[in-house]
Amino acid sequence: MKNEMKKVKERAETKAKGNARPRKQIPFPKSILPVGYSICFAVMAWFFLYVRNADTMYFLQDRGWWNSTRLFFDTCTSVPGGLLAWAGAYLTQFFYYPALGSAMLIALWLATFWLAKYAFRIADEWSFLLLIPVAALLCSDIQLGYWVYILVDVDYVFCHPLGLLAALVLSLPFWRLLPVGKKVKQCIALAWMVLVAALFYYPLGIYALLAAVLTVETLFDSGESSAKEASPLRGGLVGSGGLVVSGSLLLLFLTLWLVPKLETAGSLLMRPDQPWMYGFRKFELDELRDYSLEIPFYVALVFPVLFPFFGKLRTGKLLYSQGLMLVCAAAMILCLQARDFTDYNFHAEMRMQRAVEECRWNDVLGEAAKVTGPVTREMVMLRNIALINRGELCSKCYTYNNESVQPAIVSDSIHIRICDQAADLIYYNFGETVFAIRRAMERCMHYGYSYYTQRMLAQCAIVNGEPENARRYLRLLSRTTFQRKWAEATLPFVDNGKPLQEDERFRMPLRLYNEGSELVGTDDKYVELTIMKKWMYTITEDPVAQEVALGCAMMMRDRRCFWSQVQQHYNINPAATFPTHVQEAMLFEVYELKTSGVNLSFVKFDERIVERYKAFINRLKQFASQGMNEKQIGRALRPEFGDTYMWDYSVLREVQTN
Amino acid sequence: MTYKTYMTFLPLLVLFLLAACGKPSLPTSYTQVNAEPDIWPDYRGVTVPPNIAPLNFLVDSVEDVVAQIRPQQGEQMVCGGKANKVQIDEEEWHEMLASSRGGSLSVTVYTRQGGKWQAYKPFAIHVAEEEVDPYVSYRVLPPTFVGFDELSIRQRNLTSFEETTIYNNRLITEGLEGQCINCHSYQNYRTDNMMFHMRMQHPGTMIVSDGELIFVNLKTEGMISAAAYNSWHPSLPIIAFSTDHTMQSFHTRDVTKVEVMESASDIVIYDVKQNRVQVVLCDSAEMELFPSWSPDGKWLYYCSAHYKYKDKYEDTDELLQQYKTLQYSLYRLSFDAASMTFGQPELIYDAVGKNRSAVQPRVSQDGRYVLFAEGPWGLFHIWHPTADILMLDMQAGQLVDTSPMNSQLAESYPSFSSNDRWVLFESRRDDGNYTRTYLAYFDRKGRLHKPFEVPQRDPEFFRLFLRSWSRPELMKEPVRITPRQFRDKALTEPVKVN
Repeated sequence: MKNEMKKVKERAETKAKGNARPRKQIPFPKSILPVGYSICFAVMAWFFLYVRNADTMYFLQDRGWWNSTRLFFDTCTSVPGGLLAWAGAYLTQFFYYPALGSAMLIALWLATFWLAKYAFRIADEWSFLLLIPVAALLCSDIQLGYWVYILVDVDYVFCHPLGLLAALVLSLPFWRLLPVGKKVKQCIALAWMVLVAALFYYPLGIYALLAAVLTVETLFDSGESSAKEASPLRGGLVGSGGLVVSGSLLLLFLTLWLVPKLETAGSLLMRPDQPWMYGFRKFELDELRDYSLEIPFYVALVFPVLFPFFGKLRTGKLLYSQGLMLVCAAAMILCLQARDFTDYNFHAEMRMQRAVEECRWNDVLGEAAKVTGPVTREMVMLRNIALINRGELCSKCYTYNNESVQPAIVSDSIHIRICDQAADLIYYNFGETVFAIRRAMERCMHYGYSYYTQRMLAQCAIVNGEPENARRYLRLLSRTTFQRKWAEATLPFVDNGKPLQEDERFRMPLRLYNEGSELVGTDDKYVELTIMKKWMYTITEDPVAQEVALGCAMMMRDRRCFWSQVQQHYNINPAATFPTHVQEAMLFEVYELKTSGVNLSFVKFDERIVERYKAFINRLKQFASQGMNEKQIGRALRPEFGDTYMWDYSVLREVQTN
Repeated sequence: MTYKTYMTFLPLLVLFLLAACGKPSLPTSYTQVNAEPDIWPDYRGVTVPPNIAPLNFLVDSVEDVVAQIRPQQGEQMVCGGKANKVQIDEEEWHEMLASSRGGSLSVTVYTRQGGKWQAYKPFAIHVAEEEVDPYVSYRVLPPTFVGFDELSIRQRNLTSFEETTIYNNRLITEGLEGQCINCHSYQNYRTDNMMFHMRMQHPGTMIVSDGELIFVNLKTEGMISAAAYNSWHPSLPIIAFSTDHTMQSFHTRDVTKVEVMESASDIVIYDVKQNRVQVVLCDSAEMELFPSWSPDGKWLYYCSAHYKYKDKYEDTDELLQQYKTLQYSLYRLSFDAASMTFGQPELIYDAVGKNRSAVQPRVSQDGRYVLFAEGPWGLFHIWHPTADILMLDMQAGQLVDTSPMNSQLAESYPSFSSNDRWVLFESRRDDGNYTRTYLAYFDRKGRLHKPFEVPQRDPEFFRLFLRSWSRPELMKEPVRITPRQFRDKALTEPVKVN
């Protein structure tokens, strides 16, 4: 009876409202707005994630780590926020196929959007506001730049979107649906808030606290207040303020009680000085902290606190809401555009690293050839690895750009070196497996285990002749989702004695490992210098390894080593002609740099190289006599002679190593 | 769900639960294999203490495995049935061990491959009369070289699988500038007097003295460095330390991977109650290391390498060239507790004469045996694949046969249990890289038996665990100071020695 009366009353109110409107106005179907926002956001996210940053996203998963063992689960969950980290690490794997990972991530964000819209009863026209935190998370994925190398999170991409979704799910005011009175509902909500904070802080970290805060807010917004109670003054602000304060105090008390309990358990880990911050991403490296990179996470955590208030936004005029929507969309795109780390070398390095690991030498050289500006030293090293594998180190290394720059920096925060990037991969490909293991292990220690380091450690163990050690890493890789195939393909080299020479991944590293000399020392983080110095002093009879030694001596411009290696090259290849750049270097050394005591009569020079050398020297002298400075001469000679040893020596005066 | 639906599924659910809880049974038909099974860890023929946790194991490449464990007297136990793992019920295991002291268990393994069962020849697990100290503590760290981001000292109850943290460096530090924690040790296997060092961040030595926690800066003027390798006097509040400069370098090809060297080292003692340091040995041509008290407190054992720098003292470049000549022999000094004075060095084992290097001496409770690690050179033998554990019989003046407990790969850091019947040591025999903890029975006739890896709840644990368990120490009781208490103390200013 009561319900019927209510319905009649509602119908009458609706009718009255309807009569007030001008009849000619056709109502805009607002319900399509959130659908439109979703589609626009999905397109934008796809563009930034997949079109622009597929290589970064692949890289992030490759430096992540998840496996199906109980041990991994236990390790993750030994700190607050651990369950989220475990789940995030699992999903991050799917960026192995960047399109799949991107689609999943976007779907998760859209689910978050729709859930928030439903939970907080956000009006269709204002629902675009819910996309702000997820856009912030999108920004967090594309702004990293060189931080990708030193991220400690194996779950970076998915952890926070999952956290946000979990917080929304946990704060769903299910008590609204219960057939009980308002007071009882408020008691349930209060108890739920405490439970969420107490029970879910350990699995979800800071997102459990977000869920608790959102619960506090939905507590006062029970949606059943009488007209009197719902007045802004009495039922709204005062009630909400009081509940937020009391709820926050309760949370604080709870955590203070909870923290020592967890710590004294002895098997869990929680820093007593920052118990609240687990699950929040800090960009901290030693003394440095980059707050600018943390902004998206602050937005993702703080903005949802406003969701319940968005639920109160209602407007008759779409102009206001859609005007603001356009402003927000423009700001969002501008922000994403500005924060997207588009440095060419940064992306090229990641592609080259992957290509080197997969022995796609043409792709490595293709990347090296595409670069127009100065390159990083890592790119030079990766390119040289490809050249070594193709037997072209001494005949092609100067045909690519050797002009070097430091890796670009992100927000003036970190300065990355090769040893932080792919030192292990580079060492491995030069046959320096022990140094590769050392760097891989240090990386694991600093930034956690990853598929990349596990593969690297497995390969090093195989080349080193440590089968049991290799088996350990392969066993773990076989418990992952996408690395299993790699592990299975590699296992025969351990179990069945499949010859390593038959596989491109092992062929050259093994050869250089066998020919390299045994020394004891350290690299002091100078990866390139360590490799070059070791090889330029290595005297070997193996023609392939000797070319590496000769190339290193030539590139390091060490006369004594260079001529020793030239002699050794002749000794083991008396009938062969010297590679192009070696001929250029010999001519330049003897005739331009006046190296004495060298007898070139035994060298069969290519006439074209001799002519080119002469032409270079003539031009050089001609430009110098015209009063041009070094830079101008370098620029003028580059189109014709930029691919020669002479140009490199004359223009790039200092040997650049890292 | 309706009531009817519930009633339909309930019996099925009950049946499922019953099936899940059911014990595995032995296969009725199988093929007999005339060989022992390949199990991991290898517990075949080992001798175990009667208080050890269940020796869970696995068999590779099988679909199912069941083990029948039969004591010489009493009821047999059938376990397994969890894919390729045999995980034994703790309670039943302990009952069986208790009834088998001095006897042995016979284990028959059945495996299923391609749907067919096979039965292997039974193997024995011998149960000693003597128990092992119930706790072991160790450092847990990746086999890394320089970084200290993630380090903890943990303790494990050997009679069960309970493991807790004594201290974790992540309670204070995160990131590259970590905190190195090392050299935990105890007085007489008890934890009321114990210590460990902290380096880098908040450096100092954490000492528990009669249950009271103190934090000390042991570096004094004239000492080479802060205190390092140590040993508690068995009855006095005195700790002997070596003080040294450590350096390490990397091989380019050798699987040894790294060489750790001391460019200088001396030995001092620290009086915990008086807060005073006294120099014991400081010869610049001798590198004295790893002090270790005899259980009667009358002798201080140590190792020393003779080395004279050619031009400059502590010329690390020179040392790097000569690292293979840095070999240690074992010595001891007599100690007079009344006057706190030491006698003259006495050579007890000339490893250098054998072109070897002996380090980390530990003396048995009866003073008769000295355990130590021997390798080709240097002091960090866990990195030397040829390093072994040796035992010197001081009474007979000869080495005990330790071959049953050594392997083709590195062994290091040996120690006796408090009743002398168990030798605890670390080894990289699994794969050459990750250090694991082993126990070997040392019987009353002076014979060593095949060692066994400290058992884990999940037998696959050590295969998957990418951390080393290093520097194991047996204890009679767990450390009671909580990680939080250690942390809070570490944040205070360390006390300087007088």
